[in-house]
Amino acid sequence: MAIDEKSHILFTKPLHQTPMIYYHSTNTDINLKGDYMRISAHPILDFERGTQVSFTFDGVQVSAYTGETIAAALYAAGYRTLANSPVRHRPRGFFCAIGNCSSCMMVVNGNANVKTCIELVQDGMIVETQRGKGTL
Amino acid sequence: MVKTADIVIVGGGISGVSIGYFLLKYGAKNVVIIERDFLASGATGRCGAGIRQQWGSPLNCIMSKFSCEFFETAVDELGFDGDIEFHQGGYMMLVTTEKELAQTKKNVALQNSLGIGTKLITPSEAKALAGPLNTEGLLAATFHDRDGHLNPFTTTRAFADAFVRLGGKVYTNTSITGIRTSNGKITGVDTNRGSIATNTVVNAAGGYVQNIADMVGIELPLYSKRHNILVTEPVERVLGPMLMSFSLNFYCQQTPHGSFLMGRTCPDQPRDLRITADSRFPVAMAKTIVKVLPQLKNLRMLRQWAGLYNMSPDNHPIYDQVPGLEGFYLSAGYSGHGFMMSPATGQSMAELILGLPATLPWGQLGFSRFTEGNTIHEPSVV
Repeated sequence: MAIDEKSHILFTKPLHQTPMIYYHSTNTDINLKGDYMRISAHPILDFERGTQVSFTFDGVQVSAYTGETIAAALYAAGYRTLANSPVRHRPRGFFCAIGNCSSCMMVVNGNANVKTCIELVQDGMIVETQRGKGTL
Repeated sequence: MVKTADIVIVGGGISGVSIGYFLLKYGAKNVVIIERDFLASGATGRCGAGIRQQWGSPLNCIMSKFSCEFFETAVDELGFDGDIEFHQGGYMMLVTTEKELAQTKKNVALQNSLGIGTKLITPSEAKALAGPLNTEGLLAATFHDRDGHLNPFTTTRAFADAFVRLGGKVYTNTSITGIRTSNGKITGVDTNRGSIATNTVVNAAGGYVQNIADMVGIELPLYSKRHNILVTEPVERVLGPMLMSFSLNFYCQQTPHGSFLMGRTCPDQPRDLRITADSRFPVAMAKTIVKVLPQLKNLRMLRQWAGLYNMSPDNHPIYDQVPGLEGFYLSAGYSGHGFMMSPATGQSMAELILGLPATLPWGQLGFSRFTEGNTIHEPSVV
């Protein structure tokens, strides 16, 4: 740092100047699919499941129940990578689950930047992994 | 901390670091910048960072042309190892009223006469340059392809790094607590980290210049006013030029990161240095921008903030020694365009302080213009 050593350091080297590391995004399923990943009986809570619907994720048919979010349905179906970081393309998983962190943004019915953790599934939805920052 | 300095610059915003850089470039020694918070923590880091040469007064055209040409080669000139993100995608000013059109035609003629290649274009030509633009209600537009926008943080860093490399010292998190004078001359400054003996103080404290002037009992003809700005989530680039309109009251750019940065002038803004959020602003801003760029209607706003415009009576800065106190210089009152004019600010102040021949018309920007009735009219400010 050229500036006085006691000073507050504001600027760091831009991210794009650091070495680019590519991580493989693995949607190799954990073989825990469908209802196996859903809690069917709970000692205290009752789960009222909606009607069964289906949507496509990157062209693959995924079944879900109404009232679930897209990300919850994908998680239940064994998918762990929901998006990729924009600069280094690292896989991003389910993180905040309440619509804050932007870790699960996907293209839904052609609309980019949909926060799938708070967007409810609908029958026939077309859900796709988002590449880059999304287009308007 | 140093005990003595030839020149102490108060304020580590873009103006302070630019003045510091140009002073050292032209041979000054022992120059110190004192910044209360961190570099670019005030108006600089809060601004829209647009760069335009489309002005209505010859003075602003000359100053902004100098500044824009400086930014074009700033990375090399300053030896910066980063990116100042100069997106030279042009600047488009939208015209929607007949009165505005008449003034715009005069401005374009003036700019062209001063070597600025602004073009008056039709709504369909505007649409071709800015795809998402809704041309409904648009009479014409002006476009200058060498204008654009910058990253204010890295630009400040570029100047500050060059300043330090040339031997300057930057003290951040350091407040001026007093200014010492004797027989109408500056003798030193006191800070919370010690005192510095100096004969020259440059007040470049942006929105807070009056606080510094208060320390020596001087009332400046300036006031600071809150302006609001917001940023959206990033998307792939759809907007090349920066857009602005006086009649529609907005400016908007898409940063290289992909986010949209936009602002407008709001009524009833405080003038007491408050930079709190105005909850009415994002509502009015969204209504305005969705008319101009309808595609933005589904884009999320991420956050809003505010900064201070330091306003002068004629919307032009004051570059001068403060009358009545020898060695006390003022560089302030940019009225909302201090960032884009910062190279001209540095060049002008260095020439003024070091007694160099004037290469820019800063002689018109002294205090005497207010008492002698030589204020400068600028019809093209937000």
